[in-house]
Amino acid sequence: MTHRISRRSVLAGGAALLSYAAFAPRAFSEEARLRLLWWGSQTRADRTNKVSELFKAANPGVSINGEFLGWSDYWPRLATQVAGGNAPDVIQMDYRYIVEYARRGALAPLDSYLGSVLKVEDFDQVQIKGGSVDGKLYGISLGANSTAMMVNTVAFEEAGVDLPTPATTWDELARMGIEITKAGKRKGYYGLSDGSGVEPLLENWLRQRGKALFTADGKIAYDANDGAEWFAMWQKMRDDKACVPADIQALDQFNIETSPLSLGKAATSYAHSNQLVGYQAINKDKIVLRSHALIGKDAKGGHYRKPSMFFSVSAKSSDPELGAKYVNFFVKDPDAAKVLGVERGVPESASVRDALAPSLDDLGRAALEYVSGLGALAGDLPPPPPSGAGEAELALRRVAEQVAFGQLDAKQGGETLVDEVTQILSRG
Amino acid sequence: MAAVQDSAVVVGAGANGRPAAQGRWASIWAKHGAGYMFLLPWLIGFFGLTLGPAVASLYLSFTSFDLIRAPEWVGTANYVRIATADPKFAAAIHVTFLYVVLSVPFKLAFALLVAILLNRGVRGLTVYRAIFYLPSLLGGSVAIAVLWRQLFAGDGLINSLLGQFGIEGPSWISHPNYSIWTLVVLSVWQFGSPMIIFLAGLRQIPTDMYEAASLDGASKFRQFYKITLPLLTPVIFFNAVVQTIDAFKAFTPAFIISGGTGGPINSTLFYTLYLYQEAFGNFRMGYASALAWILVLIIALFTAFSFLTSRYWVHYDD
Repeated sequence: MTHRISRRSVLAGGAALLSYAAFAPRAFSEEARLRLLWWGSQTRADRTNKVSELFKAANPGVSINGEFLGWSDYWPRLATQVAGGNAPDVIQMDYRYIVEYARRGALAPLDSYLGSVLKVEDFDQVQIKGGSVDGKLYGISLGANSTAMMVNTVAFEEAGVDLPTPATTWDELARMGIEITKAGKRKGYYGLSDGSGVEPLLENWLRQRGKALFTADGKIAYDANDGAEWFAMWQKMRDDKACVPADIQALDQFNIETSPLSLGKAATSYAHSNQLVGYQAINKDKIVLRSHALIGKDAKGGHYRKPSMFFSVSAKSSDPELGAKYVNFFVKDPDAAKVLGVERGVPESASVRDALAPSLDDLGRAALEYVSGLGALAGDLPPPPPSGAGEAELALRRVAEQVAFGQLDAKQGGETLVDEVTQILSRG
Repeated sequence: MAAVQDSAVVVGAGANGRPAAQGRWASIWAKHGAGYMFLLPWLIGFFGLTLGPAVASLYLSFTSFDLIRAPEWVGTANYVRIATADPKFAAAIHVTFLYVVLSVPFKLAFALLVAILLNRGVRGLTVYRAIFYLPSLLGGSVAIAVLWRQLFAGDGLINSLLGQFGIEGPSWISHPNYSIWTLVVLSVWQFGSPMIIFLAGLRQIPTDMYEAASLDGASKFRQFYKITLPLLTPVIFFNAVVQTIDAFKAFTPAFIISGGTGGPINSTLFYTLYLYQEAFGNFRMGYASALAWILVLIIALFTAFSFLTSRYWVHYDD
């Protein structure tokens, strides 16, 4: 039994009332209007707004209205606006959600603008593919990043422990953790953060074992054994005091401010390379980027260069071509590039990278060098995560906590995790 | 009331500038029009922002709706899943009931205690009243929840105090065994609004009753049980119902303290937080609507139960 109601009747039902912008007055002038929405910090907003000013200067008669929110407020707002038929023209999109939005018809395919409005020929082609869903292009990558370990160099130095290298194995990293904890140079300080609930870290570890989080058709791509070994490895680190105990790790809300590294509880944390700027901004000690540890001496790395975020154009935009033009300006204009730096990741366009390199500060250069220097540690981009991936991430976190707090052993943890993720993905 | 209507006639006729007796509707309009005009803002709010969305949500609860595509009718599937196949629903119910059962009695008892202390002619009563009411004003705010995080973290103020006595406390807010208690304490700390109502209730009790009782040799304790409590039962009843409904709807503290996850291990997964996750995190607006109606039902049942039992313990003075 299928019954559909029109979008208009949903509007009448009040969904649109949630979206205050529905009442925003239309511009009375003749000029073209462009609305942007992105998530991020004030720094990112300042940089974005400056680029909008440059775009307006280059395209007289265009008015741009930009809005930004934090990550967790961003998705409810975007979903509500799309539901109300009031989506912004240019939408910042994440790799995690692009499939959901593209398949549901919320985004405009951009293929017809390639070569004319969108001049992205010198992009890394893998990243162009990353913005495609079902063979159509829905997002232009704003930069590349990779998962990374954030390392507090001063804490390592105080404990007399050498920094990890690209050849460091998990066993060696665990020993480093133990030494830092034992050195006891800081009160209540541990060597490592507990990464057992951090999905990108699990993904890196799985990739080194030749597996992945999800298959291309949206199913789970690892089994209970993998999960059990993963949890067992971290259980040993907790037992040996190589990493922080469960009740400290649980303080981490998976953002820069609440990570054990930033809270002064541990000398490492697991994040994305473009977040180095943010980490350094709130940490007094010098922070550096390191690739993740290896599962064995001759293991292949599990990294990949990931589109940090995309710009997509709304399917409902009154002027999608203008939207595409803005996106092209954002990723290709040299002046825009200088304003943006690597705060959204390393630019995808080779010419922009070359133009940008001399103007970068030390942090920007470190992030750029990290991503471009991964070499053999980096492999292919995995397929975009399926619907339900966000829920699966929460499930990993919860099961990891159940193991850490001793409610499950590692083996039960592996089984529970695989069960729950399988169920979540089957619901879609 | 009559005076208001009379003046409405005058205003209505004046505004329309025509005789009030032309036809039935015209006369009704002339008589009550101004009144309805004054009610209009509230009516718009009620129909547009309360009743409309409520009806829409009832409809959506029988659909699968991802916020982007049109809703698809699925019958009672959402309710069936809630009842039979959703372990997180069970977890959320458990946490929420625990919170209601712990926080409401503690909060009311504490509020009554403070109200009684304040009622004893303390000097500067108004100042104390304001100070004690402050947490309630701030209580729902994000800032207080953040403050709570600081207080109950592993190296927070609470553990520093415990450290003075040689006790090493855990990180209260991030340990599944204790996290709910920090939220209960936060709720009890916001005792201001029931306290003010208790205070008003205490003021209503005639002092000559106490005088008569002391003359008869009743102890303070006995006076409390035989006079204060029975005469206060309507106020206690009111506070209990309001606070229970509030506790069922609690959202902000858990959202902030767990960073929206309901963690660690679902220990702060309040019902409303789970509802929010389903609606906006997992794009299951239809399912979330069904969850919302279940909550309405639970609150209605609790309230009905309170009213039914109230006749056995609430005494109205007449």
